[in-house]
Amino acid sequence: MTDQKKIIEIRDLHKSYQMGSTRVNVLEGANLSVRRGEFLAILGASGSGKSTLLHLLGGLDRPDQGRVLFEDQDLRDYKRGRLNRFRNRTVGFVFQFYHLIDEFNVRENVLLPAMVGKSVLAWLAGRSQPKRRADELIEQVGLEDRALHKPYQLSGGERQRVAIARALMNRPELLLADEPTGNLDSATGNSILKIFEQLNRAGQTIVMVTHDERIAQMATRAVVLVDGKTVERRVGQPS
Amino acid sequence: MYKIILPLRYLVNRRISLLAVSAVALSVFIASVVLTVMHGLVGDFKEKNHLFVGDCVVSTPSLVGFAYYELFVEQLEAMPQVAAVSAVVKSYGLFTMGDRHSGGVQIVGIDPIRHGRATGFAAGIHYHAGDLASLFEPGYDPNLPGCVFGIDRIFLKDDDGAYQYDPCVPHFGFDITCFPLTAKGALRGLGSVSSKRFYLSDVSWSGLARVDDHYVYLPRAEAQTLCGMGGRDKRINAIHVKFSEGVTPEEGTERVRDLWTDYRENRSGASLAYLMDTVTVSDWKRYRRASIAGMEKEETAMIILFVLVGITTVFIVFVVFYMIVTHKVKDIGILKSMGASSLDVMALFGGFACLVGLCGAALGLLGGWQFLRRVNALEDWLHEKWDFQVWDRSMFAIGDIPHDIEPSVMGAIGISAIFACLFGALLPTWQAARLRPIETLQANQI
Repeated sequence: MTDQKKIIEIRDLHKSYQMGSTRVNVLEGANLSVRRGEFLAILGASGSGKSTLLHLLGGLDRPDQGRVLFEDQDLRDYKRGRLNRFRNRTVGFVFQFYHLIDEFNVRENVLLPAMVGKSVLAWLAGRSQPKRRADELIEQVGLEDRALHKPYQLSGGERQRVAIARALMNRPELLLADEPTGNLDSATGNSILKIFEQLNRAGQTIVMVTHDERIAQMATRAVVLVDGKTVERRVGQPS
Repeated sequence: MYKIILPLRYLVNRRISLLAVSAVALSVFIASVVLTVMHGLVGDFKEKNHLFVGDCVVSTPSLVGFAYYELFVEQLEAMPQVAAVSAVVKSYGLFTMGDRHSGGVQIVGIDPIRHGRATGFAAGIHYHAGDLASLFEPGYDPNLPGCVFGIDRIFLKDDDGAYQYDPCVPHFGFDITCFPLTAKGALRGLGSVSSKRFYLSDVSWSGLARVDDHYVYLPRAEAQTLCGMGGRDKRINAIHVKFSEGVTPEEGTERVRDLWTDYRENRSGASLAYLMDTVTVSDWKRYRRASIAGMEKEETAMIILFVLVGITTVFIVFVVFYMIVTHKVKDIGILKSMGASSLDVMALFGGFACLVGLCGAALGLLGGWQFLRRVNALEDWLHEKWDFQVWDRSMFAIGDIPHDIEPSVMGAIGISAIFACLFGALLPTWQAARLRPIETLQANQI
């Protein structure tokens, strides 16, 4: 499944947060590399820094020390515009709490990354193609009859499907999922995981943060965050 | 495209946005109505003052007046910029009507035809409208010496502000008395007064309360005799000038001033030349400064009040936007996680502020326009139903409540409202743009 070529890599990553008067070190020299087509699960206890690691991989945050290399290029060297384009075209985020825009319907939410990436004029000139793509994705996640519904009219599972479709809108090379089933019941969570499985089978590189061991079983590789460092773990091996 | 769609949805779906629109609309409505009415009142008052004196006045504040005016009037009339000239005597006196009424009056001696051409005097004459040549001939006996009183001395107004004219000029006789002054400014003789009986020949309306209540117009020669300004070197107090079409009061006044300077120099050797030292040449605005300044101050005070209203609107918009941004931090995080830049976020909320301003301004201006269209009908209805009038027409010289919409004023109010919204939204928008996505998206930071 994997073509062995590294898509993203972190080297000696450090990140800390100020919590009141104390400084909390979250990542302390974490190393990791993700290969194209891989489904990587990042495991760890609550507060171990899983989400922080995901945000650093997606260029949403900057490390205190260490490097995040996307195709051997350090994200720190990216200028602001390039980093924005990286977030828009290269990565897709799926969040635990879906994070849909309440004012937009399903179709508009899915179209959002395409809208963000284009100026108004460019959008008006070529909107039919992204609309077709959005309709395909909505169909792929089984929400074709919900396309015009607003997020508040959807169940948790449906919202997460919309979030997945949205993350895939610009055909990202890397899909980053932050506990995508953490807010769902087990049956709904399983259906969401199946979508991720299918996507990975189709060649999509996925990095998923979870604290659920069962989910990690579905991944092709798993790492555990312990004391701010990543520890490689064989799939199927209990942590 | 989301920068257009999302602000529209925020506007429609968020009640708090409608609150901001309402605040802007209300401010714009109040500003448009009050400024239109105030602007109309001030404009009307200025126009009445302008019509009362003409475009330019050559005058002295001295009651003694100045001599040698005839030749200057001729020179003025020869100027291509000048359309009409009227030499006027002004003094103070007393009037008595039998033993019933008495009071102080301002005596104005005029040549009615010339004065009618130089000022708006002709339009305010009732019984001799279109026949100024016989203005000072009382209808009941043309041989009697006539006078024209300010209308408020003679007739009352009804509740609608209409004067209750008699069908014919009332047969009233007035003894008009004044103190004749020599060219040196002394009384003609110790304890001497001039007094003559005049008969009401007409009434004059200017729309200026002080004028319509205190002025009595007499034939100029009669006024000169009465005030001691007749004789060999006749004196007057003012020359009112009307300029030809296309000549502005400012440029015309400049030409008259130059002419007066030369004229005065040429006459410097004359025996009464010293009387010309106090003569000034002013355009109508400067000449009527004392009357107009009060109104202009009120207008300025009103504008200051509206600046305060504007500041309140800015504050309301600021609060509303602050709340909206606080509610919408999640959206900002979502957009930034998808590659939206800080500038995009600023454009989004800036566009929303513009939209709020635009809708508020449009609604306020529309409401103001509709209200102003109906303001007089509304006042009539209130008057009929509840006996309420904004301005008591029996007291104030106001016809309709001014309601002519000035597109430039409306435009300025609308644009100011949009800028006020942008200004009010500036800080929250800037804060929104500075938000880091992880601050807003992560339920648990670690």
